[in-house]
Amino acid sequence: MVDNNTTQSFEELCAGYVLGSLSSEEKVNFESFLETANEEQLTLFHDMEAIGSEMALLYPEVSPSPIIKQQLVEMAWASINARKGANVHYLSRFRFAIAASVVFMIVSIALLFKTQNLNQDLTTQIALVQEQQTTIKALETEVERKEELLTILEARDVDLILMDGLDVNPSGYGKVVWDKDNGQALLQVANIPKVPTAKEYQLWFVVNNQPISAGVFAVNDPTQDNFFKISEFQQANATGAFAITLEPEGGSSQPTGDMYLLGSM
Amino acid sequence: MLFFILTALGKFLVQNTSRDRALMQRIASKEPEALNELYDHYNKLLFGQLKSILKKTEEAEDILQEVFTTIWEKADQFDTERGSAYTWIISLTRNKGIDRLRSKVYKEQKKQSTSLDDDDVFHPLYSDENNPLENTILSDRAKRIYGALQKLSEKQRSVIQTAYFDGLSQTEISDEYDIPLGTVKTRMRDGMIKLRELLAQEMV
Repeated sequence: MVDNNTTQSFEELCAGYVLGSLSSEEKVNFESFLETANEEQLTLFHDMEAIGSEMALLYPEVSPSPIIKQQLVEMAWASINARKGANVHYLSRFRFAIAASVVFMIVSIALLFKTQNLNQDLTTQIALVQEQQTTIKALETEVERKEELLTILEARDVDLILMDGLDVNPSGYGKVVWDKDNGQALLQVANIPKVPTAKEYQLWFVVNNQPISAGVFAVNDPTQDNFFKISEFQQANATGAFAITLEPEGGSSQPTGDMYLLGSM
Repeated sequence: MLFFILTALGKFLVQNTSRDRALMQRIASKEPEALNELYDHYNKLLFGQLKSILKKTEEAEDILQEVFTTIWEKADQFDTERGSAYTWIISLTRNKGIDRLRSKVYKEQKKQSTSLDDDDVFHPLYSDENNPLENTILSDRAKRIYGALQKLSEKQRSVIQTAYFDGLSQTEISDEYDIPLGTVKTRMRDGMIKLRELLAQEMV
C-alpha cells in the first residue's frame, strides 16, 4: 500500500518530468524510480506523457529554413555513402592484403629457390675454379719441370746411360742423361713398381764399387714414363755405373734394398 | 487509463502510429527517403516547439537538425513497446531544447512568455497534404487540449505553460513568479492531474 505522501511525491515528480522542469538530480531519481513503479504509477506516467505530447499541438506553426532539410538529406546520403565506402575500402584492403601476401609468398619462395640455386652454382663454380687452379698449378709445375728437363737435353755434351731391369723386376728399364758440364742429369724410368708405403727409390752412382747417392724419387704410376731431374750432380770421375734400389723413405747412406735397374757408362 | 483509452480510439494522441512506426523502421534501415518523409511531417511542429523554448531561430534550427540527426542515428533504439514514435520524437526534441536552454547564456536571458490566445491556436501538423478528415481531427485535438488548459486555474495554467512552452525549470519558475518551489511543484501536479481528468471525461 502506497501512502499519500509517496503518491503525491510521485505525482509531483511525474508532472515535472513530463513538462521537462525537474532538476538534473530529480530527473535521474525519477527515471530510477520509474523502473520499479507499480502499474497504477506507470499508467499515470503514460497518461501525463500523452498529455505533454498533445500539448505540442499548441505550439505556434513556424517553418524552419529549407536549408535544414537539404542538409539533413545530404547528411543521410553522406552517411550511407560513407558506410558503403568504408565497406568497399575494407574489402579492398582485405583483398589487397591477401593478394599482396600471396604475391609476397610466391616471390619469397622463388627467391629462396633462386638463392639456393645460386649458392649451389656458386659452390660448384668455386670447386671448379679451385680444381682448374690446381690443374693449372700442376700443369705449370709440369711445364717448368719439362723445361728444366729439356734444358738438360739441349746441352751440347751429354752422356747417355741405359739401365736394364734386374731379377726382381726384369721388365723395367731406364736411362740417365748426364750433363757433366753443368752438374745435372735427367733420369727416366719405366715399368718399375709403384713404391710401397714408407719406401722410395734411390739412384746410385757407383764408382770403384763405391755407391754415391744421387737422390731419391717415387714412382706413383708405373704405366707412365717417369722423368726426374737430378741437380748438383758433380762427379770428378767420368766413368762408373748407375743403379736404382728400393730404400726406406728419405733414402739410405748405403744401398740396403733390392736393386731394380742397373746400367754402366 | 487515459493513455489506453486514447490509444484504443486511435485518433487522439497518436494519429498516425502505424505510419510513423513504418517510417522509423525504414530510417533504422538507413533509407534517406524515410527521414525526408518524417521531416516533412514533423518539422513545423518540432521547430515551433524549439523556437518557443529557445526563442532564437538559429539555435532552434541547430537543435532541429540535431534532433533529426539523432533520429537517423538512433532510430533502431526506438522501442515501439514503450510508446508511439510521436511521443518519442516530441520528448527527444523537448529534452534537447531544454538541455541547450540550460547550458548556455539563456539563463541570463529574460524569458518571454508565450501567449496562447485563442486566435493563435494552430496545430503545426496541419498540412495541405492531409485529407480533410485528418485536418479536422488535428484541429479538434488542438482545440481539445487548449480547452482543457483553459479550464485550469490561472495559477496552475501559468506554471504548466511556463514550464512547457518556455522551458523553465521548477526552480526558475519559483524565481520568476516569486513563489516557493514547493508551491510550484504542487500547482504543476494539480494542473496535470486536472488535465488528465478533463481529457478522460471528454473521451468517455
